[in-house]
Amino acid sequence: MINLLTGIDSTSSALDAERIRMDVIAENIANANVTKDVDGKPYQRQEVVFESVLRAQQDADSPDAGSQTVQIARVQRDSRPPRMVYNPSHPDANKQGMVAMPNINIHEEMVDMIASSRSYEANLAVVKNARAMAMSALSIGRHS
Amino acid sequence: MDALSALKMVTTPPAGGLSANSMQDLAASATKSIPTAELQQLSSINSDSPLQTSGAVSAGSGASFENMLGGLVNDVAQKQASAGSAVTGLLSGQNVSLHQAMISMEEANVSFQMMVEVRNRLLDSYQELMRMQI
Repeated sequence: MINLLTGIDSTSSALDAERIRMDVIAENIANANVTKDVDGKPYQRQEVVFESVLRAQQDADSPDAGSQTVQIARVQRDSRPPRMVYNPSHPDANKQGMVAMPNINIHEEMVDMIASSRSYEANLAVVKNARAMAMSALSIGRHS
Repeated sequence: MDALSALKMVTTPPAGGLSANSMQDLAASATKSIPTAELQQLSSINSDSPLQTSGAVSAGSGASFENMLGGLVNDVAQKQASAGSAVTGLLSGQNVSLHQAMISMEEANVSFQMMVEVRNRLLDSYQELMRMQI
């Protein structure tokens, strides 16, 4: 199978990974005020862990055989303690009137989101460049 | 790129490529038919030339230029089909992300352009041969 856009596999997998990272950030922001998660405890911040995988060498002749792609190794919970807020009227408040809120700092999430979208853009720039390179190589023999 | 526009690109001549005159040449030569003996001579010259054996397509391995060209067209068709299925998957809410669909469309586009360029070069060299003074 011809592959004129070599290296696009790594980029595609990185785009996928960034997409999932963005989904996890969205989940964190959405649950920033949830005091009762599915396990009854306050929601815990989640973060993604990336890992690189060696692309299967089905075709040793192909130019990008053995390139490294990115995937999400796991989505792990942040072990920081919950944020304690004084709010005696809250139904989940303890005897001292403190409510355990999720350990989410919205500013931190926004910074993560910026990092994620910038790295998505960087990978898109790679795709655009690979395409432009292929197109300009194809124009070598064009007369006009 | 859908099949219709693909067909149009193949069937319509490239800008400044085929003139009406050369189309007549083509038609005239097709009716005359090239003598096969000469063609065989040509192919034997080709197989002896060092250029052929050093290139990717060697006459000895049985992979003819015709096979290679057919393979190219098949590959392009396959890429187009996979791009189509990616877009269908995206639109029907399957687990296909936007960039995957776009990248596979881009791959199909680039390989199609490659095929068109190969076809242009072939036609050019054929016309050059036809114009040759004997």
